[in-house]
Amino acid sequence: MSAVSLISLVDDDQSVRESLPILLKQFGHPTRTFAAAEDFLTSDAVAQTRCLILDVALPGMSGPELQRALELKGHRIPVIFITAQTDEALPARLLAQGAVDVLVKPFSDTALLQALDKALRAS
Amino acid sequence: MNANLNIKVSPPACSACGIAYIGAMIGGLIQQGRPLPIVLGALCRLFDAAAEGYASSVLLFDRSRTQIRHAIGPGLPAAYTRLLEGLPVTSDDRACDGTQHEKPESIIAQLMADILREDNGRALARTYGFKSCWWWPILSLTGVPLGVLAIYQREAGGYAPFPPALVQQLTDIASLAIERTRSDENVRRSEMLLAKAQRLSSTGSFSWCIATDELTWSDELYRIFEFDPDDSVSLEHVIARIHPEDLPSFHALVERARCGGGDLDCEHRLLMPEGTVKYLHLVADGTRDQDGQLEYIGAIQDITERRQSEQVLDKLRTELAHVARVTSLGALTASIAHEVNQPLLGVITNASSCLRILAADPPDLELARETARLAIRDGQRASDVITRLRSLFSKRGATSELVDLNEAIREVLALLFGELQRSSAVVRVELCEGLPPVIGDRVQLQQVILNLVMNAAEAMSGVNDRARRLTIRTRLHKGHCVRLSVQDAGVGITHQDAPRLFDAFYTTKSGGMGIGLSVSRSIVENHRGRLWAEANAGHGATFSFAIPRADEDVPAPRAAQSTRPSTRAVRGAGTSA
Repeated sequence: MSAVSLISLVDDDQSVRESLPILLKQFGHPTRTFAAAEDFLTSDAVAQTRCLILDVALPGMSGPELQRALELKGHRIPVIFITAQTDEALPARLLAQGAVDVLVKPFSDTALLQALDKALRAS
Repeated sequence: MNANLNIKVSPPACSACGIAYIGAMIGGLIQQGRPLPIVLGALCRLFDAAAEGYASSVLLFDRSRTQIRHAIGPGLPAAYTRLLEGLPVTSDDRACDGTQHEKPESIIAQLMADILREDNGRALARTYGFKSCWWWPILSLTGVPLGVLAIYQREAGGYAPFPPALVQQLTDIASLAIERTRSDENVRRSEMLLAKAQRLSSTGSFSWCIATDELTWSDELYRIFEFDPDDSVSLEHVIARIHPEDLPSFHALVERARCGGGDLDCEHRLLMPEGTVKYLHLVADGTRDQDGQLEYIGAIQDITERRQSEQVLDKLRTELAHVARVTSLGALTASIAHEVNQPLLGVITNASSCLRILAADPPDLELARETARLAIRDGQRASDVITRLRSLFSKRGATSELVDLNEAIREVLALLFGELQRSSAVVRVELCEGLPPVIGDRVQLQQVILNLVMNAAEAMSGVNDRARRLTIRTRLHKGHCVRLSVQDAGVGITHQDAPRLFDAFYTTKSGGMGIGLSVSRSIVENHRGRLWAEANAGHGATFSFAIPRADEDVPAPRAAQSTRPSTRAVRGAGTSA
């Protein structure tokens, strides 16, 4: 676990993009935010990101689609999915597809911290 | 003009002056409005008194001249006259013969032959001991046979007719009596029919002379206003009954009428002494009489029942719309959870950050304040979602306001965001810029939009071979309407479904109740609009509705009339637009 681990956040909700980086900074991690999957995929953040916090439902390319696209390109970035959907079968499906954790909104700061620890250990 | 009986005639007493006396007496009876049998009975009695040894009778035909309505002959045995009443005027074989039918003399000759003839068993005159009989037709001014004047003599005598002038005068008096009485009856009948029609249609009529303020009222109008039929009615009496809220407009109406302001047409209410309210519809035309005086003649209909049933209907419609909303609420639960959970995450995350910032040494107070502010903002956002939901799903009556359909669509789409994403619909929104507003109930219209969008998404749920494209458009429609369409690429409409698409409880969906579209249509029609469906050229269907734009110079929908202040505000905004 390196001292400075860049975390990237992809969520189309602006309030999430504003609030989570402040909390992550309290945990000691710098964060870059993206409103769309495509924006992240084409940015230079891909190579530096140690953990990707990824919203499931995104306009255009969805969260799981981004995850597959990254794998295809050979980027093995640990993914924590976050979702506001109440579909009970969704977390198990995402975990089966290789997600480190699935956090259902609204989640607590400790749940996020635990997931982060898991992700950063994995990377 | 006799048959089978011997005739003897010399009525010495029937002089010219005797006839004049009879005429005067009968005229008096007619004036008094006495019933026809009594008038004709008096005629016979006067004649019998003057012509000793003779008994006169009048056989009065019914209006269709098919039978003898009354046989009047006070000097004849009652048993005899009773037998004549109801006898057919034309026998069956003659009735078929059109040419004969037209000639009164022939018809009457046949009738009298029937009455007097021995061989048909009706030898009535002979049975009762009459020896001679004379008869003459009683004709109307236009020559239509009204009856027969028949004079009988008990003793057999020779042929000696009454003087023709005398007979003519007698039949003239009888004819006059019959026609006058019948025309009086006609007037009474038509008055009675009018009164009945007024009663049945709850419509009263009136005339109002502007110069004298004199009012003439029909009985039904007395009943509607619940005035004593014996009192005369003045404008003050009327005004005392007008509902206080309608008084200003009623005074304006009266003023307009006094200035000769054309025809009147208005609805107003009455407040009855016991507190009940009546709804009236008044229509009147201003006319000038021969002296050039302005007079209004009009009708007032009591439309209370109609108004009350409309109110009941409105209430039912509101309740049905509520049921439909609650039904779709169930389908929207996931979407609602999504919309609320999103800002809740902001609240929790910002509050957590705030605590952690404050726990640091030294604490970054400015950042702590910032996160607290963000938490409040997100909390507010969650609360806004709940407010939107509450207004969309609460049970309430229709209101009326200026509605921007573009804005209404944006709000509905904000609620449906998660739902649409879940159904993988590719939503395209093409909103017409500068779209004029419509007048109506925003929530009801949003209910329609929500229904159409949800239906479109559902219609595409089984589509996997093409994009699930859902397009929402607004446009100006034929200049005076605003149109909103929801186009999908779903299963489309089959010929089988098309005619019943908007029927209540008709559904092609497994989980649907089939009230969405029928309620939607009733809402749109209540906004004086139209909702329709078309099959697309390619896949799917397009559902559209068009509603008159607010600045059209037309009355607001009925919902608007019940909420006066907002209607005024709307009208003001409409004219300035």
